[in-house]
Amino acid sequence: MSLTDQLLAALSLYGLPVLFGVLVIGCAGLPLPSSLLLVAAGSFTQFGAMKLWQVIAVASAGSVLGDQIGYGLGRWGGRVAEQFSRRLGGEEKIKRAEEFARRWGGTGIFFSRWLVTPLGPWLNLTSGMAAYSWPRFLLWDVLGEVLWVCLYVMLGKLFSDRVQALTEILGNLAWAVAGLVLAVILGWQLAKYFRAAKPVNSSSTKVKSAAV
Amino acid sequence: MKTPGWRQWTMLVVFALVVAGTGLFAVRTVRRTIYWRQHHNEPIRPWMTVPYVAHSYRVPPHILYEALGIQPQPRDRRPLRRIAREQNVPVEQLIETLQKAIIQFQQTSLPPTPDGPERGRSP
Repeated sequence: MSLTDQLLAALSLYGLPVLFGVLVIGCAGLPLPSSLLLVAAGSFTQFGAMKLWQVIAVASAGSVLGDQIGYGLGRWGGRVAEQFSRRLGGEEKIKRAEEFARRWGGTGIFFSRWLVTPLGPWLNLTSGMAAYSWPRFLLWDVLGEVLWVCLYVMLGKLFSDRVQALTEILGNLAWAVAGLVLAVILGWQLAKYFRAAKPVNSSSTKVKSAAV
Repeated sequence: MKTPGWRQWTMLVVFALVVAGTGLFAVRTVRRTIYWRQHHNEPIRPWMTVPYVAHSYRVPPHILYEALGIQPQPRDRRPLRRIAREQNVPVEQLIETLQKAIIQFQQTSLPPTPDGPERGRSP
């Protein structure tokens, strides 16, 4: 049985504590199928195995706590977090996410909670590393996470007889959206470089700054 | 003209990979959605509980409990995997029993009209 199936079985058996635990760990950055558990929990509310308000409250609390752990790691465990993310994805990625965090701030945090979810843990770390204001981080985080939780739980409730199929679609869709966002950012930076690199006689410092 | 450095080449390669990956996931999303619209019932998996299977296939839970030869329980949280372990049978066999019971129930409870409306499907 796969990890996903194990977690779903644990969710049916033990309920809310499993949902909470998976969301804390998943939002803190370890690759666990958090969205899938949300959809499943939503479907369980439809036939009385779980209560809707409890699922939404516990899941929101778990995901917000997980995000604060990520932020705290970035802010206070700077070096540890950097090594951890370097092992996962390399310096380029950190720099890109850091730049993304600085440029987009609250908007980035908000949308990476529910729309571009695979980027969420990166933004937690980089927001902490870039010392983004914590009250603001918390505000955007709570808004985004509650929206994410409600969205996925309600989807699960609505299509409660087809959890397996729905989560497969949502999983692929989340990665497609994240890929699209990354492609746009990368493409835009490449375009900026090649546009700046074309005029030969322009000062070399300009080219250098554009290339970074 | 200044030739692109290793950083630009790396970015180009990463860009190409990201575009390819995005395309792959987009295609998979579309394929899964099409499959989803065509196949209403989802396969029974070991993580599912009897109430979930009953809900998913629109079968009264007591029919499934009867097929498994166990007492119906009002708040049964046990996944099929655990029930199989309790009964000392492979979970695949238990799933097969459930599938047979579901088909039998659907055949006996369906209205006799050959082109009856399919419930639960969007137009």
